[in-house]
Amino acid sequence: MTAVAALEAGRAVPGRSRVRRLIDGYGWLLTLFTAAWAMLLLLPLFLMFVYSFFTTSGFETDYSFSLETWHTLFESGRWRIGTRTLGVAVTVTAIIFVLAFPFALWLSKGCRSNGARTLILTLLTIPFFLETTSRTVIWRAILGTEGVVNTLLGGVGIEPQAWLLYSGFAVNFGMVLLYFPSMVFPIFMSLELVDDQLVGAAEDLGASPLQILRLVILPLALPGIVAGIIFTLVPTMAEFVVPQLLGGFNVNLLGNSINSALSALKYPMAAALSAFVMAVLVILMGLLFIVLRRSRTIMNTFAEIRQ
Amino acid sequence: MRAGAATDIAWQTRPIWRRLGMSSGLAVLALAYLPIVWLMVMSFSARPLSGVPYPLTLEWYLRMAADTRWRAPMVSSIVIAVLVGIACALIGTFVGRGVMRLKRPGWVLGTALLPLFVPGLTIGAALFLFLRLDLGLRLGPWSVALGHVLWALPFALLLVVVMLTRFDRRLIDAARDLGASPYQVFWLVEWPLLRPAIIGAAMFGFFLSFSELPRSLFLRGTSTTMPIFQWAQASDHQSYVPISFALATIIVVVTIPLLAVFFFIAFRPAASRS
Repeated sequence: MTAVAALEAGRAVPGRSRVRRLIDGYGWLLTLFTAAWAMLLLLPLFLMFVYSFFTTSGFETDYSFSLETWHTLFESGRWRIGTRTLGVAVTVTAIIFVLAFPFALWLSKGCRSNGARTLILTLLTIPFFLETTSRTVIWRAILGTEGVVNTLLGGVGIEPQAWLLYSGFAVNFGMVLLYFPSMVFPIFMSLELVDDQLVGAAEDLGASPLQILRLVILPLALPGIVAGIIFTLVPTMAEFVVPQLLGGFNVNLLGNSINSALSALKYPMAAALSAFVMAVLVILMGLLFIVLRRSRTIMNTFAEIRQ
Repeated sequence: MRAGAATDIAWQTRPIWRRLGMSSGLAVLALAYLPIVWLMVMSFSARPLSGVPYPLTLEWYLRMAADTRWRAPMVSSIVIAVLVGIACALIGTFVGRGVMRLKRPGWVLGTALLPLFVPGLTIGAALFLFLRLDLGLRLGPWSVALGHVLWALPFALLLVVVMLTRFDRRLIDAARDLGASPYQVFWLVEWPLLRPAIIGAAMFGFFLSFSELPRSLFLRGTSTTMPIFQWAQASDHQSYVPISFALATIIVVVTIPLLAVFFFIAFRPAASRS
């Protein structure tokens, strides 16, 4: 019996309805949960947006409407930090996608050993639950001028390579390793839903491997790809651990700016920066959603073929 | 319907595809584990930030044992993580059951999954402004735990919901027809069948909370958790880094086997082909 049916049954017998509804209906629980969730998530995000229209004078927040904070954001060097953050996030996501898609394809369709597949999925999941600071700071001991790589290079007579650490390279590198699994997983799961017989049919009809990839696998795996891209863009747009520890002060990103604005009690600026991050993400997700919508037609065609 | 390994499709067997996909991923995976391994090695090194582990020493572990600064953050991290785990198991189970009884679960589920689309730092900053400045509350372990529940619950809820989609609703109807009370239905029918998902929900809550940094950073008030402590040491106090490595090594040695066993068991059915 569904909740709605239970409610209707309850309404028919007025005496029992209230108690029954309380235990059985779950309506009150879900209403309470959704309301609490919205209050703890959407309301703070909205109020944060409101905060970005206040200003800071001295260490006090001035609660009168003003565009000054946004003006400062776009005028000062933070605008450059914004474009740099977007650049790093998109680059890192693109690199991860190029590495993750073939891997997910192999894992889902190519890997023949069940044990190996289970092991790889396990290895992909574990780092998600580990704290990132110490895993990141240790790269200094590997990439630094006295680190492992440069010691080994010195052994074969190559002079220390300074660009390995405290550089754009180090930041991109560290973030690619950190967020690789969040791309592999959704793509893997969507590939698991791609019927092997469809691929076989395409092959029987004379499609080349590239055509199969482009016309069969990619469109069907698109929801997973979009999810993977979103789950990589969301954390990379506000990353602050990797840029601070591996970028030195050369590669500050928006995450670092939010962090320092809050520590300096510049709440309106922190709010404006966070709202900016959120706005960029909403635009990017909107674009991805349009791509997904457009490909629906292709997916529907496949669904019809399957029936 | 899965055709299985029996059908050899050309693009699957073509060596270059397989090798490219396999090697690119395994290389990244190896690089992702390199810092964890190197962290453990260098925690025994006299010069932990150098390129060579030698000479080896136990000094950092002895200093860590004598040091008291990390103990309070460790205790509060464990307490918060346990509470978040319990909260995720409870809320995940009851909201999950409720959601699955709705005709259109999309809206509630969609709202519940929203935190996955907001960066941790952003939600941390927003919640800080809301709780501290708008409501004027004193932040502390409770607000850290709240931020963690907001982060871990979507995963916990998904686990329960996925488990429930495979759950035969007729079992509940049958139990009811036979006169079971709502409590009996839950404990005798639902709990045994949902137990893996509920334990999984608690695990997700515990470990996501135990390693969480961006939300905790703003919601901490004056309290400190282990990830905040490690972050503060790494970003401000270079001299403490060796002791941080020793601490991180011990945490990794305790948590990785737990996670590995759990996920190996959890993934085995999904990863297996008939």
